[in-house]
Amino acid sequence: MDSLTPRMPTSAQAKRRRRDIRRSWPEKLFDVCNYTLFVLLGLSTLLPFVNLLAKSLSSEAAVVAGRVNLLPIDLQLGTYRYVLEDDAFMGALRVSLLLTVLGTALSLLVTTLTAYPLSKPRLAGRKWLLLIFIFTMLFSGGLIPTYLLMHNLHLVNTLPALFLPSMVNVFNMLVIKNYFEGLPDSLEESAKLDGAGHIRILLSIYLPLSLPVLATIALFFAVFFWNDYFNAMIYISTPSLKPLQLFLKELLVSSSDFLRNATLNPDQALNTAPQSIQAASILLATVPILLVYPFLQKYFVKGVLVGSVKE
Amino acid sequence: MIRKIAAISLAGALTLSLAACGGNSGNEGGSGSDKPELKMLLQYGRFDPNEDYAAKAISRLTGYPVQYDMLPAEEADQKLNLLVANKEPYDLMKLSAPQFYNLASTGALEPLDDLIEKNGPDIKKAISGVAWESAKLNGKIYGVPETGSGIAISEELVVRQDWLDELGLKMPTNPDELYTVLKTIKEKKNVIPLTASKDAVSALLGDIAAAFGVTTDWVDQDGTLVHQVETPQMKEYLAYMNKLYAEGLLDTELPLNTAAKMMEKFANGQAAMFKIAWYNAPSTIKALEKSDPNAKPALVPFLKDMNGKATVYAASGTTWYAVVPKYAKHKEDAVKLLNAKLSPDIFKELAIGQEGVHHEVKDGKYYPILPKFTDDLNNASNYMTGVDETNYPNYWQARVRKDPTLQSYFEQMQANAEGLIVTDPIALAPPIPQVAENKLNLLQLQIDEMLNFITGTEPLSDYDKFVAKWKEQGGAEMTEGANEWYKSSKK
Amino acid sequence: MTNRNPHSATAPQPSRRSVCKNIRADRELYLLLLPGIAVLLLFKYTPMYGVLIAFKDYSIFDGMGGSPWVGMDNFRKLFESDDFLLVLRNTVEISLLKLVFLFPLPIIAAILLNELRQLAFRKAVQTVIYLPHFLSWIIISGLFIDLLSINGGLVNKLLGSFGIEPIPFFLSNAYFRGVLVTTAGWKETGWSTIVYLAAFSTIDPGLYEAARMDGAGRWKRIWHVTLPGISPVIVLMLILRLGSMFTGDTEQILAMYNSTVYKSSDIIGTYVYRMGLGKQEYSFTTAVGLFESVIGFALILSGNYLSRKYLRRGIW
Repeated sequence: MDSLTPRMPTSAQAKRRRRDIRRSWPEKLFDVCNYTLFVLLGLSTLLPFVNLLAKSLSSEAAVVAGRVNLLPIDLQLGTYRYVLEDDAFMGALRVSLLLTVLGTALSLLVTTLTAYPLSKPRLAGRKWLLLIFIFTMLFSGGLIPTYLLMHNLHLVNTLPALFLPSMVNVFNMLVIKNYFEGLPDSLEESAKLDGAGHIRILLSIYLPLSLPVLATIALFFAVFFWNDYFNAMIYISTPSLKPLQLFLKELLVSSSDFLRNATLNPDQALNTAPQSIQAASILLATVPILLVYPFLQKYFVKGVLVGSVKE
Repeated sequence: MIRKIAAISLAGALTLSLAACGGNSGNEGGSGSDKPELKMLLQYGRFDPNEDYAAKAISRLTGYPVQYDMLPAEEADQKLNLLVANKEPYDLMKLSAPQFYNLASTGALEPLDDLIEKNGPDIKKAISGVAWESAKLNGKIYGVPETGSGIAISEELVVRQDWLDELGLKMPTNPDELYTVLKTIKEKKNVIPLTASKDAVSALLGDIAAAFGVTTDWVDQDGTLVHQVETPQMKEYLAYMNKLYAEGLLDTELPLNTAAKMMEKFANGQAAMFKIAWYNAPSTIKALEKSDPNAKPALVPFLKDMNGKATVYAASGTTWYAVVPKYAKHKEDAVKLLNAKLSPDIFKELAIGQEGVHHEVKDGKYYPILPKFTDDLNNASNYMTGVDETNYPNYWQARVRKDPTLQSYFEQMQANAEGLIVTDPIALAPPIPQVAENKLNLLQLQIDEMLNFITGTEPLSDYDKFVAKWKEQGGAEMTEGANEWYKSSKK
Repeated sequence: MTNRNPHSATAPQPSRRSVCKNIRADRELYLLLLPGIAVLLLFKYTPMYGVLIAFKDYSIFDGMGGSPWVGMDNFRKLFESDDFLLVLRNTVEISLLKLVFLFPLPIIAAILLNELRQLAFRKAVQTVIYLPHFLSWIIISGLFIDLLSINGGLVNKLLGSFGIEPIPFFLSNAYFRGVLVTTAGWKETGWSTIVYLAAFSTIDPGLYEAARMDGAGRWKRIWHVTLPGISPVIVLMLILRLGSMFTGDTEQILAMYNSTVYKSSDIIGTYVYRMGLGKQEYSFTTAVGLFESVIGFALILSGNYLSRKYLRRGIW
C-alpha cells in the first residue's frame, strides 16, 4: 500500500532546504516564537499525566496529603501490581479492546460506504438524504424507546448493543464526504472510461487517496468506542461484560460520591479505592488508546495527491 | 481487503453476541435439588459479585444458586426503571429508600405479607416492628427492611492539639470559645483555621450547627413538624459561619472543597481543624503523621449550646430494602432465600465468617482475623437482605477493629456522643411520597443557598426569599406530607 | 491564486442526459448507501416516536399508551420558570464566547504546527497536545482548582510576585467564564487540530512551490494556499458547531461550577439537572431536549444557507 502513497519530489525538498538557510530575521523570530509556544503548550498538556504517574507511584499517605507533584514520594510499585492482578480490571480491558477493534472496523466500513454516494452531487435526492442524516445528529427518540428497541432485538446485555447503533456516525461521515468532495472529479471520470464501477472506484482510487482522513476517522471511532461508558452503563448489567471506561468511571464515582452519603453506609466508604490506585487505573485505562495516534500519524503525510493526479 | 475485514468483523460480531448471551446462564452446582437458580440485582459495589466469597457462602449455606447483576454507580435509578419497566427477569432486588418508594408506588413490587407469613419465620424474628413500618405502603409490606449497623456517630471535629498547646489554647467547648481559638490560630500560625467540604448539607452542618440547635432535618414544634431551614436557629448558625468566613477563619475555598480536598488540607498542615469521619481516619491521620511527625490530632468534644447542653445528630432508619418484583418467576423461593439468610447461624457466618477462620472473640467482642477477614468478607454487606437487628451492631464492629486508628476514632466518637444523640422524628416513617419526590433537589437548593449565605454571595437579609423559594419548589408540599404521617403515627 | 480543488457546491449541475447514462452506476451508489440507511432507520428513526414524551405526562411503567397527553405544559414549565431568562442568557453568552475564542484556535494551532520544520518535534508535539482530551472534566476541574487556588496556587503566586492581590477565579462571577473558556480551549484544541491536519494533505504541494516561485512569503502562502485549501473543512466544522451551541457545555460546567458563580454560569443543562435531581421527570427533560434540538437544527439550517449564499459552499 505504501507504493501508492507518493512522496514529494526530492528536488523540491532540496530547494526548500536552500531557502531555509536564507531565511529573513522576521521568519527566524517567528520560528523561535512558534517553537517556544509549542514547547510550553506541550508541557502544560503533559504535566497532568506526569502528576498522575507520580501519584500512582507514591505512597498513599503522601498522595492523601497532596504532597506529590511531578516526582513520586516514597516510591512503590504495589499499585500497578494491584491493578494488573485485578481480574475485573483485566476483564474490562479485554472487553474494551474487543469492542474498540470490532466497533472501529465496522463503523469505518459503513460510514465510508455511506459517505461516498453522498459526496456525489449528481446523486438524485442527495440534499434530502443528507438532511435525513443530519437530523439524527440533533433529534433522538431518547433513552427509553431506544432501550425498548434494544430489548426487543435481544441486544440488551450483549456487546453488539454497544457498537451496532453507533455504526453510522454522521459527524464522521460528513468529514469523509467532505474529503471525497475535495478529490478531483477527473479521477472518477478517467476510471469510468476504463469501465470501472463505483465500488471499484471507491476501493481502488478513493480509499488509497483518502488515507489521512480514514486514519483520522478511524482514530475518532477508536476513541469513541474506547471512551464510551454511557451505553455500557445502560445496556450492560453483567459485571463480566463491562468495558474499561465504565469500570474506571465507577471506581472514581464510588470514591467521591459514596463519601457524601457515607453516614448511612459506612461499609462502602471503608471500601473506596486509595487515590494512588485511582491514578494508576486512570493511566492504565488511557495509555492503550493514546498509542493509536502515533501509529496513525504516518498517514498524515503532506501531499498524498501529488503524482497520482494528472489533470 | 476491506471486504474481507468486513466479513470477518461481521462474523466476529455475531459470535460475540451469541457468546455474550451464553455467558449469562451460569451453571452453578446444586443440580438435582428442587431449588431453582435465582437472579438478584444488587447495588453498585467495586467487585465482581459472582466471584466474591460472600456469594459462594450464600449458595453453600442456603442451597440456592444465585446469579448477581449490579446497578451502575451513576444513573442507578434510571437504569433500575428501564430494567423493571422491561421486566428483566430478577427474583430479588436490593433497593435504596427512594428506589423502593418509586417501585412500590407504581405497583411493580410484590406484596410480601402472605409470603413472609408462610415462608419467613426467621425474617419475622430478626426484624423489629418499627423497622417493618418503614417497609409498608398502604398497610402492605413491600420489602424486607435493612436498618444497618445500629445508631452510631460517624463524624466529629478534629483539631491539631499540638498547635493548641503551642499557643496555650484550651480545647473549645462552645461556639464563642471556638471563635477565639480559630482567631488565635489564624493570627499566630497563618494556616486555614477551619476547613470543610461542600459535598452535602450534612458536611456543612455537624458539631457547630448542633451548638446552635440545628441537628435533625425535622423539628417538632408543638406537635407540628418544621423543616430545619424554616427555624430561626438555622439563620443564627449561618450568621456565625458567615462571620467566620468573612474573617478568614473558615476556608475561603469552602465552595470548591471536595471531601478529599478537605482531608488533604488537614493532612498536610494547611488547616488546623475539620470534621473527620471515623472511616476516613486511618488514611488522613496516617498522612498527617507522615507529613509532620510532631502532629498530634485530637477530637474536639461536641460543642455546647447557650444553655451548656451538647447534642449530636445520628442518622438512622432503613437504608436498604430487599424486594421481589411482581413479575418474578420464583417468588416463593426468593422469600425462602431471604428467610434462610436471616436464620441466626447463617446470618452470623455471612456477616463475620467462621470463628477461628475469619474472626475471634475476646472479652465478648468480635475481632477480625486479618487478612482472611478482609479478603473474604470485605463486600459481605452488599449481599445483605435485612439484618439480625439484635446482634448485627455487635458483629459489625468487627469491621472497625481491623485497624487500630479506625477502632480508636470510632470508639472515642461513640464515647463522646453517649447520652447526647438525637434522631430524626421521621427516620422510621414509611416512604412518604411528597418527601421522596422533593428531597434530593431541595437538598441541592439548601446546600447551594447555605454556601451563598456563608460566603456572603447573598446577604442574610435575603434568607426569607430563600425559604419562600424552597417552599415553592416542593418544600411546602414535603412539609405537608411529613406532618400527615407524623400526626397519624402519634394516634 | 485560487484553490484548485473542485467542490460540490461549485460543480456544474449534471444534465438530464448524463443522469440517464449513469443510471446503472447510480443504482450502485444507492446500494452503497443501503447499510448506512438501514442502521439509521433501525436505530435512530424507529425510536424517534420518543419525542412525543415531551407532550405527555410520561410514566415509564405506564408506557407511551398509558400516559396522558398534556400538550405544551412541559414547555410552559421551562419557559415560565423564574430563572429561565437568566439561564438562557448564560447559555447563549457562554456558547458565543467559546465560539469566538475557541473555534479559530485549532485552525491556528494546526497551521502553526504545519510550520514546524523539525518533523520529529512536530509529531511529538501533536501527540502531546491532544492528551487532555482524554481527561475527564472532573479531573481537569481538580487540576485547575489547584492551579488557580488562592492558597498557594501557581497562578496566584505568580500574580503575587507582581504585587497583584490573589484572585478567586472559581468564586468570582467576573472571572469564572474566563476559566470555562480557557480550560475548554486547553482540553480540546489539540484534539480538534487533527481534522485540520488531515485536511492539509489534500493541498497540492505544487501550489506551495508555485507560491514560492512568485516570491510569496510565509504569511502569503498561509493566506492564499493553506487557508483556502482547508476552508471546506472549516466551513463544515463551523456549521456543525452551530448545532451544538445549546448543549455542549453542560458536562464541563457541572464539574466546575459552584453556587457562588451560578449567576454567570448556570446554563439550561445544569439548571434542568439540578431541578430534576431525584425526580423521574422524563417528560420535562425530553421537552427541554426537544427545545434545544429545534434551535440547534434551525442554526444548522441557517448556517448552511448563509454559507451557501456567501461562501458558495455548504454541507448540502
